[in-house]
Order: sequence, then C-alpha cells, then structure tokens
Amino acid sequence: MTFFKAARLGAAGILLASAAMADGHLSEMGTEELLPLAQAEGTVTVYSFTSRIGKVEKAFEEAYPGIDLQGFDISSTEQIARLRAEAQAGITNADVIYISDTPVVLTELLETGIIARYVPPRVAERVAPEFQNPLLAQRLSTKVLMYNEEANPNGAPVTNLWQLTMDEWSGRVVMVDPLQRGDYLDLMTEIVLRSDEMAAAYETQFGAAINLDGAANAGEKFIADLFANDVILVGSTDDVNAAIGALGQDNPPVGFTSYSDRRDNEEEGWALQVANGVEPAPGIIFPAVLALSAEPNNPAAARLVIDFLMGDESETGGPGLAPFYVAGDYVTRTDIPPHPDAVPLDDFTAWRIAPAETATIRAEIGDLILTLQ
Amino acid sequence: MADTAMGGQGRRVFFRQGTVLKALVLGLLIVLIVLPLIKTVLFTLQPDTIKAWSDVLTGRLSTNLFYKPLANTLLIGGVVATGCVLLGGFLAWLVVMTNVPFRKTIGVMATLPFMIPSFAAALAWGSLFRNDRVGGQVGWLQGMGFDIPNWLAWGMVPTLIVLTLHYFSLAFTIIAAALATVNSDLVEAAQIAGAKGRRILMGIILPVTTPALVAAGSLCFAGAVSNFATPALLGLPVRMQTLSTRLFGMIEVGQVGRGYVIGILLVLISGALLWAGNRIVSGRRSYATITGKGGRAKRFDLRGARWPLFAVAMVILLSSTVVPVIVLTASSLAPSSANLFSGWTLHYWFGQSDPSFAQGIPGIAYNEDIVRALAITLALGLAVAFTGMIVGLLASYTTARFREGWMSAAITQISFLPLLVPGIAFGAAYIAYLGAPIGPFPALYGTFALLVIAATAYLLPFSVQTGRAVIQQVGGELEESARITGAGFLRRLAAITVPLALRGLFAGGILIFVKIIRDLSLVVLLFTPTMPVLSVLAYRYASEGFGQFANAITVVILFLSITATLIANRLQSKSQPWLQN
Repeated sequence: MTFFKAARLGAAGILLASAAMADGHLSEMGTEELLPLAQAEGTVTVYSFTSRIGKVEKAFEEAYPGIDLQGFDISSTEQIARLRAEAQAGITNADVIYISDTPVVLTELLETGIIARYVPPRVAERVAPEFQNPLLAQRLSTKVLMYNEEANPNGAPVTNLWQLTMDEWSGRVVMVDPLQRGDYLDLMTEIVLRSDEMAAAYETQFGAAINLDGAANAGEKFIADLFANDVILVGSTDDVNAAIGALGQDNPPVGFTSYSDRRDNEEEGWALQVANGVEPAPGIIFPAVLALSAEPNNPAAARLVIDFLMGDESETGGPGLAPFYVAGDYVTRTDIPPHPDAVPLDDFTAWRIAPAETATIRAEIGDLILTLQ
Repeated sequence: MADTAMGGQGRRVFFRQGTVLKALVLGLLIVLIVLPLIKTVLFTLQPDTIKAWSDVLTGRLSTNLFYKPLANTLLIGGVVATGCVLLGGFLAWLVVMTNVPFRKTIGVMATLPFMIPSFAAALAWGSLFRNDRVGGQVGWLQGMGFDIPNWLAWGMVPTLIVLTLHYFSLAFTIIAAALATVNSDLVEAAQIAGAKGRRILMGIILPVTTPALVAAGSLCFAGAVSNFATPALLGLPVRMQTLSTRLFGMIEVGQVGRGYVIGILLVLISGALLWAGNRIVSGRRSYATITGKGGRAKRFDLRGARWPLFAVAMVILLSSTVVPVIVLTASSLAPSSANLFSGWTLHYWFGQSDPSFAQGIPGIAYNEDIVRALAITLALGLAVAFTGMIVGLLASYTTARFREGWMSAAITQISFLPLLVPGIAFGAAYIAYLGAPIGPFPALYGTFALLVIAATAYLLPFSVQTGRAVIQQVGGELEESARITGAGFLRRLAAITVPLALRGLFAGGILIFVKIIRDLSLVVLLFTPTMPVLSVLAYRYASEGFGQFANAITVVILFLSITATLIANRLQSKSQPWLQN
C-alpha cells in the first residue's frame, strides 16, 4: 500500500517535472514550432467572457486546421467561481482563460496559482509593459455613461456626473446591480478612488465646495446621492442597452454600459452613444486579459490560441483580432492603428482602473452599496 | 428448534419496526443531502469567513443584507403557497370531483405551467406589463395606450402573480392525485346519511386530503422562497431583494461566505416552517383511502355553475400557459425584440451560419453544442427520473409505513431540505463535496455521474412528497394480509405498494424529468464545457443578448416536457383501471 502510494507520488512528480520543463520551453517557441505540437494535441479549450469567442473559434480552425478550438462563453465572475472549483477538484478543463474583472482575477486566480501569465514572444515587443504585467492584456474594455443619440442629436444630455443626482434624472439612470456584476462594482470603486476629481466636479456643477454630510469622501457621497435619486438597477448590460438605446423614445434614460456595445446599434435597433465629455470622467476603462491555466492539458495549442488572439501581422490584426477590432474596444498592440470610428484612446476621458488598488477597497464599496439598497 | 424460532421472531420484530430500512434510507439521504450541506456550513466557520455571520445578522449591513430580504421572502412564500393551494385545489376539485365541461382538457392544461421555466413566465410578464420605468421597450399593454403603474409592472405584485401561476400546477398535481384516491365508500356513506355537497367537501374530502394539501402548500412555499429568476427579473428594477437574489448576488461578486450564511439561514427558516407543517400532518389520524374494495364516487353536479366555473378555470389556465408560450414562440422568430409580431424568420431555428446575422451563430438545429446538449439533457432527465423514483419510493414508503420514531421524522425533514437550498447553492455545495477525490473515489467534477447524483438529491423532495401523499393512503391492511401469508419486504413492495402507488410515483418521475430538463439554478455551476445541458445554453444565449436562440431552446424544452407529460398521462390511465370514469 505504502509502496504503491509512494510509487504513485513519484510518478506524479516525474510527470509534473517534465510538464514544467516542457512548459518553460514552450513559452519561448514561435508559432511554427508550436503548430506541430498543437496539432498533435488536436484540441484546445477556451473560457471566454465574451460571446465573440464564437467568431474566433471559426477563424482559428480555418487558420490552423486539425486543431479543434472549443470556446465557451462564461462571464468573468462565473469563470472565477468555476476555475476555483476546478482547481479544488484537481481538474483542469480550460487551457486558455480570457477574462476581465482583473481586481479579482489577480488575487483569486493569479496569486493562488490557478492561472499563469504568458506573452507570445512574437508580440512581446509590441505591447506596452503595463499591459504585459502581471497578465497580458489583449484589449481595453469599458463601462461608461452612454445616452440615446437619436433623442439627443446635439450631444450628450449630461455634462457632469453630479447631474445624475439631480431631480431631472431621478429614476432615469440605469445600470446593472453592482452587487451582481463585478465590473460595475469596479466602476463604483473607481468613483471612490477618484474622490478628489469628484469633489472638483461637484464644485464645477454647483459652484460650491461639497458638503460631505457624513459620507467618507466625495465618491461615496456621489454613490449615496445616486442611489437616493432612484437609480434603476437591472440584471444585464443588454437590459441597460435596451433601456438607454432603443429607438423611438421621447425621453430615454442614460446609463452605464460598454462603449463597444454600440457596434450592435444597427442589429438591435439602438442609438447608443458615449457621453465622453462628461465631467470628471464618463466611467472606467479596464483590461481584458489572456492567461494560461496553470497546468493546461494542451499547452502548445493554448499558446497558439493566445498568439492568435493577439492578432496577426496584417494591418488590423487579421481574423484573430477582427471580432475585437471594433469602435469602443482598444487593442493593446501598439502597431495596430486605433479604430477610425471610435474616440481615440488619448481623447477618451474614462478612468483607467488600477486593478491592485481597486482590489483593496472593492469589498468595502460593495458593503456601502449594500447599505444603500 | 427454539433457537430458530427465537431467531425468526427477533428478525420479524426487527423488520416490523422498519429499523433496518429506516437506517438505510436515512444513511442514503445523509450521503446525498446532509454531507454537502455540512460542507457548506463548515466553510462559513473557517477563520476568514466566520465574520460573515455577524455581517449578516448584526452588523450595519444586516438590514439590507438579511432582514429586508427575509421579510420579502416570507411574504412571497406565504402568499404563493396559499394562492397555489387555493388555485390548484380548486382546479383539482373541478377535474376530479365535478362534472365541469372539458374536465380532461383542464386536467392536462393544469399540469403545464410548471413546465414553463419561471424565468420564461417572468419575461412574458415583462413583455405584457412592462412600463417605461427602465426605458427601452415598453410592454404590449403600455404600447396599447394603458398607463401601467409601477406596482403592476415591477416588484412584489408581479412576482407573487408569476410565481403563483407557476407553482399552482405543482399543487394541482399533488392534490388531484390525492383526490383521485378518495374512497367512494366514504362519500356514498355520507350521501346515504343525507349530507349535502358542501358538507361532504368539508367533512370528508378536506380532512382526507389534508396531508396532500399540506404537502402541496409546503412544496409551493419552498419553491417560491428559493426561486431566483422571477424576483431577479421583476424585482431588481425596484430594488426588491429576496434571500435568493441576495445569495446569488453575494456568490456572484465572490462574497461566498456571506452568500452561504444567507443560504444556511434560508434553510433554517424554511425548515422551521415546514417542520411545523409536518407536525400538523403527522399529528392527525391517518386515513387509508385506497383499500381492497370501493369504487368511483358519483361526480358533484355543478348545475348552473358548470360554465361559469369552466370560464374561471380557463382564465387561470390560459394566462399561465398559452400566453407565455405565444410570447416565447414569437420572440424565437422575431429578429428584433422591439417588434415581437413582425419580420419573422426561421433563422434562429434552421439557419446556417451567416457572419452578418447574430454574430454568425447558426440556427439551433445546426448548432453542434445544442444538439449535444439535447442528448445529454434527455439522458440526464431519464436517469434522474429513474434514480429519483427509486430513492423517492424508498423514502416515502419508509416514512408512510413506519412513521413513528425520530428516524422517520429525520427522513421527512432531510428529504425536504434540498427545496430550501437555492439550486445555485446546492450546486456549489456539491462541487465542494464531490468535486475533489474522496478516499478511493475519483473527483466527479465534470462527469455525468455528478449531474445525476446532485440532481437526484436536489429533486428528491418532489418524488418523496408526491409518492408520500399517495402511499400514505394505500391501505395497510393489504400489506398486512400479504405479510401474514409470508410475503417478504421486497415482494410486498413489488406486488402491492408499488402498483397501488404507481400513479403518485409516476407523477413524481414526470415532475423530476420535467424539472431537471428545465432546471437552471442547479446545473449552472455543475455545468462544464464537456457536459452541456440545454437550460444553461439557453441562459447563456439570453445573457449574451441572443434572446431568440434562448427562446428557441426554451420552446424545445417546453416541447419535451409537454410530450413527456402526455405520454405519462396515457400510460397512467392504462395502468390505473380503477381511476377510469
């Protein structure tokens, strides 16, 4: 019995050691070297927080015949729960993790050793260091204030976030419940982290210094006032999009959603537009990261997928990047030109979140929102 | 010689008390239900999560985290349970005991609402009653020029209505099964003694069916308090929270400890209420109503009330079945949810992948994932119905025949537990429980076996309670006679109890099949890419804004459920000659 146990442990140890060695070697390989190994593996599983993985799947299988990409569209919050459960079970289902919610990802997945960083050598020189560490960001996504451009042809009806706390917008600001979607909690957290800017914006709006009235800072005061002004909470960003964007509304609400959802305007009958001029900022911009699972079943194919998702050598990144080369998503590769229809990243006034900093007070802000509901 | 006699005697005493059987069933239930929950409790007692208890119960957050949602939850449970017993009881009485026109149609339609996922019903409510509070599309009625007030569009009132219209058919199934077994001897004796209809109803039928009424009320209560989809869809825009939406929200944002604490409290509170209900039932005399003889009672003549009562029944049934189905079907065909009844296309059903349409997703008939999920879902439904019926039969037989003793009470209580655990928490508990290897057993995470075991445990209350209401009424005298003639336990079970209780057990099997193939909350965490099921795919499409695909899959689920029920009805009427007219 003891012997068998020892033998088994030994065998497992050898396997692990060889896997680790192979992994270390794999990370240096280019696509030509990875391809035959990946084809021998034959399949690769991707957990993706966006449904656009469906398009990637098709494009990848066309580019690399013989490798079956299984893409699964799973929200970031759920991926985190799932990956933790799988790690606990000692099972690895996913090879590649494509996820947002970085404040939680860093502490719960990266630091716990459930996922691992990988930067394809091919693009390492063409992604800014801040987007390579601690994980590789493929693009930046957003949660920003949007309005209905059909009902407001002359531009955003809101010029300062504090207007959302005034009577005019009572019951007419829509967002997803921050206690049910992590990126909205990140947005609320960022507002608190930017309390100085919020205080300045208050003065711009009302011409007087802010009276905190018991709140800890200007950010928390804003959140409290927003909830007191009957902010409307819904279950998903698509509900927000429909509420704000649907055509034919006389007096549509405004709300926080993804800038890139504007790409669906035509198909869905929306008129979503970003309120980029709003003071002090329309919302947040945050990274969507790519990572390997700590011990992928298909290590070569997994690396090939990440390489593919970073785009090829054509001007706009080719088929791997095409689903993400849309107005409102900001690709991190420095050599890919910005999307012509979007507000250029430099002019985009949304706050960039600092995941590590967000993580420090995120739970506290969650508690604050809990007391306001 | 003496030794043998003593041995035989000892053995018989042993079996008569049912100790072995009770211990066996109790052990099984502990493995299936209690251990996963204990794992959950232990989780909240870890040093870094134990603070969750004070956050939930006493801290500055407790009002919003626990007490307000608790009040909403109890209100929903109480009102929905009462409404369901009234509606379900009324319809069951009409179908089983009266000469209302189109009895059979009413009987079939009354079982349908339960097969429509409650989130579908909630969405349908929105399509009709949604007002302009959240902007975007307004519902059909608002579009017609009616001004729908907030209280009718959102929050408590619509939640109560949707849940009552969803769960009443559960009450109907249970009460109808019990009413169908009311012995005509009792009714005829009362008629001979000169009792009028009302007297018979109050004096005989109600008391005899009380166990079924309490069981139905309990199931509806438990279902309503743990329902997530409806309060989430209809309550969130007015910030109405229940314990289940709170629990889901907490787990979603990674505050698992608080979520589990809320879940545990939900279990405890509902458990206390159900324990009280169980006391009421077991405190009264039992009524054996299926005996060796007796026939069908004459139906109550409704006279002039036949058509008015029929109309009332149809209003209830149409609004809970036909209306949501029409809305679902229409939205699986309409490219834009803005215009539900125009521009219809079959793309979402049979279209080939087209990059310019719905992000290149092919119609569900050509989608490999969906086809595979269909096969797995069907296999899961059948497997769970089978295992559920076996465990359910054992448990309900045990508690009905050997109702004395703490073990029986424990079996009843434990078999009820899963109902009080929101599916998502049960799924999480099962991942913690069987997700990692236990001794020589491998981790079951991601296997078909895990789905079957978890679903069997989760849906046990349905098989146990449905079987129980009927088995309790199978006359002990028949089994007594069999035992006197020397039939063993298995023989008695196979030759007497099972055939007589078949209707109840079969009803349980159907409920299980239907419930698991349209269940979302349990499988949403157990789901793994290699083991997809339909409801999770539907949910994924819905949450990604592909409502048409979601609704098309929901229509498939509906079709499967309705077919299953119709087949079952057929089989039942053939195997139950004494229930014919």
